[in-house]
Amino acid sequence: MMFITKKSLHRRTFLQGLGTTLALPLLDSMIPALSAKTAKPTPRLGFVYVSNGIILEQWIPAQTGANYELPPILKPLEPLRDRVNVLTGLAHLEANTKGDGSGDHTRAAAAWLTGVHAYDRTQPGVQVRLATTADQIAARVIGKDSPVPSLEMTVDTPSQGSCDAGDCFYVNTISWRNETTPNIAEDHPRIVFERLFGDGGSNAQRAAQVKDTASILDSVTEEANRLAGTLGPRDRSKLNEYLDSVRDIEKRIQGAERDGAQSVDLPDRPIDIPASFEDHTRLMFDLQLLAFRADVTRVFSLIMARELSLRTYASIGVPEPHHSVSHHRDDPALIAKKARIDTHHVELLSYFLQKMRDTPDGDGSLLDHSLIMYGGGMGNGNLHRHEHLPCLLAGNLGGQFKTGYHVAYPENTHMTNLLLTILDKAGVHIDQLGDSTGPLAMKTLAVS
Amino acid sequence: MFATTGRAQAPSSGAMFQQYCITCHNSKLKTGGIALDPAKVDQAGEDAELWEKVLQKLRTRAMPPAGLPRPDEATYNRVASALEGTLDRAAAEHPHPGDLPNLNRITRTEYQNAVRDLLGLDNLPKEMDYSLLLPADNSSSEFDNIADLLFISPATMQRYLDAARKISRLAVGDPNIPVMVNIHRLPVQLPQDARVEDLAFGTRGGLAVHSYFPLDADYVFKVEMAGYVREPEQVEVTVDGERKKLALVGGGGRRSPGNKPLEFHLPVKAGPHLMGVTFLLRTEALDEATVRPRTRSRGTLPAIGTVTVSGPFNPAGPGDTPSRRKIFVCQPSAPADELPCAKQILSALAARAYRRPATDADLQYLLPFYESARAQGNFERGIQEALERLLVSPQFLYRIERDPPNIAASTAYRINDLELASRLSSFLWSSIPDDELRAVAAAGKLREPGVLAQQVQRMLADPRADSLVTNFGEQWLFVRDLKTKDPDLYLFRDFDETLRSAFEQETRLFLDSILRKDRSVLELLTANYTFVNERLAEHYGIPNVQGSYFRQVTFPAGSPRGGLLGQGSILTLTSYSTRTSPVLRGKYVLQNLLASPPPPPPPNVPALKTEGNAAGETLTMRQAMEQHRANPACASCHARMDPIGFAMENFDPVGRWRSQDDGKPIDVSGVLPDGGKFAGVDGLKKMLLSDPERFVGALTQKLLMYAVGRNVQYYDEPAVRAIVREAARNNYQFSSLVLGVVESVPFQMRESQKPEDQTPAAKTAALEKSR
Repeated sequence: MMFITKKSLHRRTFLQGLGTTLALPLLDSMIPALSAKTAKPTPRLGFVYVSNGIILEQWIPAQTGANYELPPILKPLEPLRDRVNVLTGLAHLEANTKGDGSGDHTRAAAAWLTGVHAYDRTQPGVQVRLATTADQIAARVIGKDSPVPSLEMTVDTPSQGSCDAGDCFYVNTISWRNETTPNIAEDHPRIVFERLFGDGGSNAQRAAQVKDTASILDSVTEEANRLAGTLGPRDRSKLNEYLDSVRDIEKRIQGAERDGAQSVDLPDRPIDIPASFEDHTRLMFDLQLLAFRADVTRVFSLIMARELSLRTYASIGVPEPHHSVSHHRDDPALIAKKARIDTHHVELLSYFLQKMRDTPDGDGSLLDHSLIMYGGGMGNGNLHRHEHLPCLLAGNLGGQFKTGYHVAYPENTHMTNLLLTILDKAGVHIDQLGDSTGPLAMKTLAVS
Repeated sequence: MFATTGRAQAPSSGAMFQQYCITCHNSKLKTGGIALDPAKVDQAGEDAELWEKVLQKLRTRAMPPAGLPRPDEATYNRVASALEGTLDRAAAEHPHPGDLPNLNRITRTEYQNAVRDLLGLDNLPKEMDYSLLLPADNSSSEFDNIADLLFISPATMQRYLDAARKISRLAVGDPNIPVMVNIHRLPVQLPQDARVEDLAFGTRGGLAVHSYFPLDADYVFKVEMAGYVREPEQVEVTVDGERKKLALVGGGGRRSPGNKPLEFHLPVKAGPHLMGVTFLLRTEALDEATVRPRTRSRGTLPAIGTVTVSGPFNPAGPGDTPSRRKIFVCQPSAPADELPCAKQILSALAARAYRRPATDADLQYLLPFYESARAQGNFERGIQEALERLLVSPQFLYRIERDPPNIAASTAYRINDLELASRLSSFLWSSIPDDELRAVAAAGKLREPGVLAQQVQRMLADPRADSLVTNFGEQWLFVRDLKTKDPDLYLFRDFDETLRSAFEQETRLFLDSILRKDRSVLELLTANYTFVNERLAEHYGIPNVQGSYFRQVTFPAGSPRGGLLGQGSILTLTSYSTRTSPVLRGKYVLQNLLASPPPPPPPNVPALKTEGNAAGETLTMRQAMEQHRANPACASCHARMDPIGFAMENFDPVGRWRSQDDGKPIDVSGVLPDGGKFAGVDGLKKMLLSDPERFVGALTQKLLMYAVGRNVQYYDEPAVRAIVREAARNNYQFSSLVLGVVESVPFQMRESQKPEDQTPAAKTAALEKSR
């Protein structure tokens, strides 16, 4: 299987082995030129989620500061060690039970980018209620001029049943547009591709299609507004959800029209989900890299492993389901298996980060101008703990802080404080996120 | 303990509560957060939430706790009935239909069925499969149609736009429709040694797919074998049963031409077709049991790996398809006819899609799309773009119910006939109303005497009522989860895709027969018949069933099979991959069949110990569970679940009968917390049927939840009880439950909005605007 290389994107060779590929002209008008050298590089953010806790003994480096020894799970990052920071001691206390009983996995995923406790489970019925996630807050600022303000992906099949207490939407996504609207995380490469670059047809057909869509959006807005006049206040708000979504797409289309017909060489449209988890993950990362390069989107989130995931990892000798293995009950054999899964995930991350590092962007590389946060809402997965969370930062948003360090924060330092800091460095200034108490102290990493 | 049994001295209900309950549930102790005032029992309706809970505890004998003084049976029943009467009377006086949004977004299934009924488009090309066309809905509360959990985000909106474009082009037969690549992969664990249902005798393996061809055009077929084929085989490609291609594959070396993928063009007419790709049998007919492989695989003979159909190429025209016949109710013969004809077509579509008579305002939004596309192209292109616009209208994507003007806030009222018709078609068909239902409703006749019942019976008899099996039934019973089950490859070597789909088919046909023959729903538990093909019959040990088609068989008296609890689907989906789980099975019965799920387990539960204390000693599942239950934190729930699961232990993890577990005899006896004793699956069924109202009540709750699209709450209990009481008179026939739901307060009524009521989404939106 061939993937995008740093020099160029090969038409047709890309995605070989995924079954038939189909040569299709792309919606060129939707792809602005590769970012020209500008004075200030575009900040880009990525959030990658891994679930069911992590084997902390093999994750937390023994030494702090620079030159720490890479613990086993982080070994795959050896080639990138000067580009990443490991932060330990962070916690999501809002993921704790707080009287709600079980549901730790649900709350772990829900709290990760919000610092908000998922709904009160002592009340009857299921409610969809959380908060706007950090990626969406960022997308509204740094993504507002890109055709797709944010991209939500998953490589773990969304679950439709057998979730903690039935509330699957909390584990199937880590991105929420607002309090009541989770963003659907997409697992099919073709759908992701079409979302980024559109689907079939000639250039002229595609340009016409953009125009058609624009007029459809105008017309449905008018219709929905008229409809709203005949409805009560509560339904108007339900309808707002519809209108809000229409406006979002309108903005994107206006951007596409404004940016004109410049193109970057693109691969063929992927047709199917690759059979192996590894190929699937690498393909999704490749698509994301492409989206960064073409500046179609600047913010993404990806679920590499979903909370409660029952994926088996036969390719690395773990035929048991991930979630079952994570409840290792201190059995050394199971601990070793969970650590193998954790390491495998970091390997896949390393694939992406190396490509980011090798992709030129302005006066540096894509990785230089980005920040990819990797981690999850559970530390000790065996005991469902929400402190000592795994947290790794790659890139430094154009030299805004030093990299290559392990920084140990006092126990129970709020993860949301780090999120505030990340947003701040990306140029998104907010006062509060979930249970945050203020930006994270970054003395060690401060650029003098 | 001291209660007297004499009827003459029966104490009042209040006295019973005074004597047995308020020692704990008084205003000081408030045990479990509950304080009861015996003096208020006659006004129970004023705090229905509390008293419904009390009633449930009395009915299930859950209170007072075992070991404390309890009333005798007669007192239990008398007090419960009196309380029930009080609550039902209060509910009748002040109906409480519950809270539903006025805008209900349709689900993916409803969208799919609506497109089928609106445009006559049933099976889409594989590339446009609905699982890729639209995002999945939230199935968090067992059903995916819970209104509060259905939302639209920009990503969903984008998918609606894309779907509308693709569907409208397909339906109209757009000559410029892009080439699609439809990949059909055959599962690795699907044996291809036997004939595929729907294909000719004398063939084996391959696939039969109901597919769709967008235009009269050429299509490129590519057939890839699953591996190296040593001996030549004949592959036949059929369209609607007619042979279109016969080719020799295999032979020669690995790189020989015969081992290259088979690739050829075929002209195919536009529309839905049954496509078959299969092997001609080389050998004399062998029966299925002889050729069936003993391990999970593609089989012992060469197999097909993928079939890819790409096209259309060189289109000749849109052809004559069911959807074109449905859309083009008129054809303009002169330019002057075009606009009136377009209006006629679009009015008909709008009326169906918007579930009400079309208005001028509808055309006002659709016609500009027709006109601009007509100006640039032709008449059909105009219709296509207007249709594309219609499919993203909020009036199609939402089912809308409006409060009558000037109604006071929070008032219960009856929804109008058109809204009721929409609820009906969503409930019974997961789709839009048909012309007859809409006409009856538009004329305001739906609630005339007998009309509603007649419409319900008509709709239940319609093929579209299949959705009660595939959408309601399969979600209720979690049958959809069977796809994710993977019984251990080594322990259950022959559990393959053929068996898995036979499990699904058995349950589907069983539910279908209850629905179509309008049987008593108690047969869901008691039936002495089921539906099997040869493969499944062999799995169950039923003799003399040959061939791959399904037929009804009757079990001999005393057979443990029969009813849902003996079906491979349910027995497998409540097991782990290597062993049965009495806990999962017990929980399943409590949650799905009795609607009283136990709470989820606490974290860090120790794993089951399967080794005994002595070296080399292994524990049976029962011994292991009993050790586990010694932990009091676990005991209270497991005391309810485990006995039920143990009763089903004679069924192994893939639903086969067994009398031993790992060489040890199986003990299927159990005692419930209330002291009820039973043994085996027969005993379990008798126990479930000893109080049929419990099972029927649970099924009614599920039906009601699905029908109104919200969770069932305490204030729905009087409605549920009324439905069950009424259905009892009709021997719990399925249609009597359905009709009961349709006539109930939650289905017939709604509550007007509270003026201050604002969803968080609105607040967020308002906040964003103010920034």
